[in-house]
Amino acid sequence: MITWSKDRAEAAQRILGSYPERRSAVMPLLYVAMAEYGYVSEQAMRDVAELTGLTPVQVSSVASFYTMYKREEVGRYLVSVCTSVSCHLLGGDDVLHAVEAETGVPHGETGPDGTFSVEHVECIGACGGAPAVQVNYELIEGVTPEKAVELCQWLNATEPDPLLGDEMQALFGGQRSFDWGPSESTGSKGPVPAFGPYSTAGTDRLAGP
Amino acid sequence: MSERVTITVDGIPLEVDAGELLIKAAEDNGTYIPRFCWHPRMKPVGMCRMCLVEVEGPRGILLTTSCNMPVSDGMVVHTESETVKKAQEGILEFLLINHPLDCPVCDRGGECPLQDQTLSHGPGESRFVEEKRHFEKPIPISDLVLLDRERCILCARCTRFSDEVSGDPLIEFQSRGNNTQVLTFPDEPFASYFSGNTVQICPVGALTSKPYRFRARPWDLEKTESTCPHCSVGCSIEVHTSQNEVIRYQGVDNDDVNWGWLCDKGRYSFESVNSAERLDTPLIRNASGQLEPASWPDAMEAAATGLASIVEAHGGNSVAGIGGARGSNESAYAFGKFMRTIIGTNHLDAQLGDGLDPHFLVGSTPRGVINDLDTAKTIVLWGPDLKEELPVLYLRVRHAAQQGAKLIVIHPRRTGLDDRATFKVVYKPGEGPALLNKLVEGDPGLAEVRAAINEGPVVGLVGRTGLTEDPRLAEAVAAFLRELPKATLMPLARRSNVYGALDMGVSPRLLPGRVSSASESGKAALREHWGSLPDDFGRDTIGIIDGLADGHLKGLVMMGSDPVRDVPSGNRAAEALSRAEFVVAIDTFLNDSAAAADVVFPALGFTEQEGTVTNLEGRVQKVTQAAPGPGQARPDWSILEDLAHRMGGSIGATSVNVLFKEIVTVAPAYRGLTWVDLEFGEGRDGLVMPLEEGDQPIQYVAVDPGLAPTKAPLALHSARTLYDDGVHTRFGPSLERLVGAPMAYLHPDDAARLGIPDGGEVDVETVQGSARVQVGFDPSLAPGTVFVPFNQGIGQNLGSAVEVKLEVVS
Ligand code: SF4
Ligand code: SF4
Ligand code: FES
Ligand code: FES
Repeated sequence: MITWSKDRAEAAQRILGSYPERRSAVMPLLYVAMAEYGYVSEQAMRDVAELTGLTPVQVSSVASFYTMYKREEVGRYLVSVCTSVSCHLLGGDDVLHAVEAETGVPHGETGPDGTFSVEHVECIGACGGAPAVQVNYELIEGVTPEKAVELCQWLNATEPDPLLGDEMQALFGGQRSFDWGPSESTGSKGPVPAFGPYSTAGTDRLAGP
Repeated sequence: MSERVTITVDGIPLEVDAGELLIKAAEDNGTYIPRFCWHPRMKPVGMCRMCLVEVEGPRGILLTTSCNMPVSDGMVVHTESETVKKAQEGILEFLLINHPLDCPVCDRGGECPLQDQTLSHGPGESRFVEEKRHFEKPIPISDLVLLDRERCILCARCTRFSDEVSGDPLIEFQSRGNNTQVLTFPDEPFASYFSGNTVQICPVGALTSKPYRFRARPWDLEKTESTCPHCSVGCSIEVHTSQNEVIRYQGVDNDDVNWGWLCDKGRYSFESVNSAERLDTPLIRNASGQLEPASWPDAMEAAATGLASIVEAHGGNSVAGIGGARGSNESAYAFGKFMRTIIGTNHLDAQLGDGLDPHFLVGSTPRGVINDLDTAKTIVLWGPDLKEELPVLYLRVRHAAQQGAKLIVIHPRRTGLDDRATFKVVYKPGEGPALLNKLVEGDPGLAEVRAAINEGPVVGLVGRTGLTEDPRLAEAVAAFLRELPKATLMPLARRSNVYGALDMGVSPRLLPGRVSSASESGKAALREHWGSLPDDFGRDTIGIIDGLADGHLKGLVMMGSDPVRDVPSGNRAAEALSRAEFVVAIDTFLNDSAAAADVVFPALGFTEQEGTVTNLEGRVQKVTQAAPGPGQARPDWSILEDLAHRMGGSIGATSVNVLFKEIVTVAPAYRGLTWVDLEFGEGRDGLVMPLEEGDQPIQYVAVDPGLAPTKAPLALHSARTLYDDGVHTRFGPSLERLVGAPMAYLHPDDAARLGIPDGGEVDVETVQGSARVQVGFDPSLAPGTVFVPFNQGIGQNLGSAVEVKLEVVS
């Protein structure tokens, strides 16, 4: 029995309707389920299995392949520090260590009070503005270790909701890769990618637990 | 005939089928290319890269995997060049990076493709000095199978089998990269009826089975080919023994039957062969009413005297025989001959009240074979849930449906094939005739189904969907289906060698060789051979039970049968046995029925004697001896011969060979068969009898008996499950734990209407009996249906009545 909120249950049906084969909908549905439960719980995978006609283990095979499907509860702010080549060369590792030290959360983990999760990630497509950091998938470029510390303090103190990439960029960012681009910030309401208008999942109503 | 093309493999030109996979084309022509992930009965995935070869092409020589490369005309292939060797060595070095190399304590050591191919194609030395990845050593992934992830080489054979072949994808790769591993979902074990196949095809020792683990080393095993005796599919198996003990069964690839697969019941039933509960000495009921061990001469004397005195006092036809379906054709033939000529009765039956008209079962025209499924456009299954009752036939139907045949399933409940069915029709038990009428008359509600059915060739799989269904419904269905374009019929009954026993005439309606017992010429011909043959009317099993219960019959001989457990109204069978004056049982176990006998003889079972068996297609295959039997057990036929002797006659059963020769002389449909035809190797696939078209004595044309539907407010559906409470599950420690609990299932709407909670308790009552059970919900049932699995503790008391009442207890 699926007990999702009405909006998400409807979104799930919409998603299912856009694929000729039910099982093809497994990935967008996992995001919706993740939004519902805050992470991809066992129940979330069972739900998606029910919706797609797969077995739960087939769903978990997909869910465990991709690191953006969080299979454990994530803190309110998911800080992802890029340590791929460009960022690594420009000090991404130092940024990561600064975040770890400030939050007290080693990468790959969530702090006991549930405020922060810290992870290091592979290239997030912002090499031109390396080192890059994301908070709940909202991007900040040109981050120094000092600015990263401030960023964490700011998150802790002001508890922004929604979280806007442009705002964080202005406060804590440096050199941007595409400063001529339009503002892409849609505002994140939680550590689950919202995808806004671009996603098969539809709207940002899906965000946040 | 498919198109042929010419390819060159290592300089040798070969003519092969166009489109064939290179690895297979090469192998069929004597060049073995090493492989791990490719399996001839599954789709190629190209995962392990072990099968690399060089193929010359327009852009030069290309290193490519041969398992997913179809041959094309003019292809030039090198399988042993320096580059290929280097590539294969590299692949093996990579595969061994994380492999624990614990061969000395691995079940697979000695028959391990990784071990073998490392020796034949490997580098001989590893350059890897880093730490290997570590996992908890073997974790149980089901009641039968354990998984050692350190040994796994991620070939995906097991996961593909579960998804593609058996249709229960309960294991899958999890995570990725260095963390990739095969796993189940946390609370969903690998509870597949076919899990043993993954253990057999795993190319390393990552999957092991509980019943076989650490029991033997492969090089110590003696291997004997045989045929699985547990249902009428007749899968080809290899019996592995060590020091005279059966250690395991492995599937053998028989192109006509099982393609190498087995179901877990067949595969792990070897445990019951070795059970300490096996009968190993004759038993006689003593003065105080207890069965006690006796010598063979004493038991023979007691049995012969007991039977003879009844025959003398009341005539031969006061004695009946039930059984014959669990042994070989030779035993069944001996049983029939013994009952008819020595006792002088026609009351004998190998079916136990769960089957169809024997003429229909063995004489239906046009009769199909399993391989017809692969060329069928349409498959109609109106019969048992094949996954539960004829498991490997289920695999074959599943495959055919996956290849594009339209599958129509008609059954009162969900079945294992529903997910592959083009159409699934559910009906309430008793309403089958009405449904059939609608189908025949082209009811608009079934128009699509009807249209699909009209496309031939059609294979009709027909049988009873459950034990409360009127057996004549299957004939009505067959009468309809046989008129469809290019239709063939496969009438279905599941009991092990029941087709063989019926072919041997163990039925009131049949004589050996598919001859009707009403045929005067048939009787005359048989009298020539047998000297005598009773003329009276014979009763089937249900009739025999009635006769014993009401005193018309006085004596009973059972051979490998357990009516108390197997007949739809077991309590009535028990009553009949207690009323009988004298009962003789020949069996491997002291089952509930044999326990009521006056004399019990210990019989040799499967793997302990030679003979032939006949499967549901009418295919004759060999069973072989691989181990000695327990204690003083003897072959059924030799017990019967001895008994005949003491009763002043003989059935001429001096050896299996003599019996076989007599069968192929006496039984018309078996004429011309030779022992050599059935030798394994060339004859592994067995032979469908009769050998020549037109030699089939009964040409049974099903007609619609014009049944009226049975209307019942609540209707009972009672059907078998794979792990029922039969001897082979009960006396095998691994399977025993898998037997389901007694349950009754209801549609949730009915339960709500009747105020029964999920898990509540009810008394289920029919005119034939009652039982108290727990209730479960099953939304796949038609409203108004109660489903009770048969022989899971209780089902056998409810009989075959459709109408059922529920009394809520809590
Ligand atoms: S367990 Fe065996 S069959 Fe399954 S992927 Fe691993 S090596 Fe292959
Ligand atoms: S399907 Fe039947 S014959 Fe085949 S292994 Fe299972 S029980 Fe034996
Ligand atoms: S390397 Fe960090 S964003 Fe590309
Ligand atoms: S056998 Fe060809 S890639 Fe595995």
